[in-house]
Amino acid sequence: MKPRPKVLVVDDEPDYLRIAARIAAKAGCAVVTAPTALEGVALASAEKPDMILLDVGLPDISGFEAARRIRRTPALAGVPIIFFTVRSEVDMVSEGLKLGAAGYVLKPFDPDELLRRIKAAVFPA
Amino acid sequence: MNQVVHCVTADPGVAAFARASLTGLRVRSYPSAGRFLKSWRGDGLAVIDAGLPDMSGRDLVAVLRGAPRTAGSLLVLTGGGQYSPAAAAVCFDNGADEYFPFPPDPALFRARVLNLLGRGGRRAAAEKPAEYAFGALRVSPEARTARVGGSALKLTALEFDLLLYFLRNQGRLVSRSMLLEQVWRQDSSAGARAVDKRIEALRRRLGRSFGSKLRTVFGLGYIFKL
Repeated sequence: MKPRPKVLVVDDEPDYLRIAARIAAKAGCAVVTAPTALEGVALASAEKPDMILLDVGLPDISGFEAARRIRRTPALAGVPIIFFTVRSEVDMVSEGLKLGAAGYVLKPFDPDELLRRIKAAVFPA
Repeated sequence: MNQVVHCVTADPGVAAFARASLTGLRVRSYPSAGRFLKSWRGDGLAVIDAGLPDMSGRDLVAVLRGAPRTAGSLLVLTGGGQYSPAAAAVCFDNGADEYFPFPPDPALFRARVLNLLGRGGRRAAAEKPAEYAFGALRVSPEARTARVGGSALKLTALEFDLLLYFLRNQGRLVSRSMLLEQVWRQDSSAGARAVDKRIEALRRRLGRSFGSKLRTVFGLGYIFKL
């Protein structure tokens, strides 16, 4: 049997960490979580997830910087990353999408939309 | 006519529809929010597909409306499934100047786009719906009143703010911490239990038909879906 795709969720806010993890599990994925960006970078390197849900406003380093560091690992250079954030300045969104994000989702999000985006990223047609 | 319509969609059908119905205008297409944000300078009018590959069209409109460079731009949302007054009201509240389910009537679409562009290519004013109307539920953000079937609801200021927050975030899963941050704001003494109690009170005041639309998602938060 094919192993379930693995999703890493990084968010310092426990409520949204739980919500995103639950939705990723509903999408049929195994889930690992980290509450800070640096822990997320380390976990990405150790676990080699199939996709990453990454909060932008993390307390240690920004989600964008975490994404750059994660992408430096050759095995993770092409990993789909979906950013999610409460802040919605146009320059931030542009920066996130320029980093090659698979998606940019504003909090609070529509759970069905996030589910669709996760499925599209881990089970591409 | 030399005005530009920027069409943001990954769906070739939507792009083809815009080109066919907007003859005489220059129509430029972008397959994603990222490509659009990279090139657009805030000119003309943007037709934005609700379901973009990298972002929801509704979120993109909210983001553009919030930035000084693009706040006065003309933004039209399309797509997003079957039309419902609730869905349309949310699109307008997010800042769309117009909303069409796809496919719109071509003549109506063209007339509305030309009408918007005829205003001089800028938005007339910051417009928010004067009233949300969802069947028997009517909510006026400015007058801060809510009615169900003509009877005024007796809401506290906090309950009204909660109702408005849920209306503006319909279909989105809102955590208790998000509600404390966005609705309670300064009152840091409140906790998750206070949120639950207030939601329960709001449900009671909304009555059975609307109160039941405010669902608890066990262990995660609340979702309001009309």
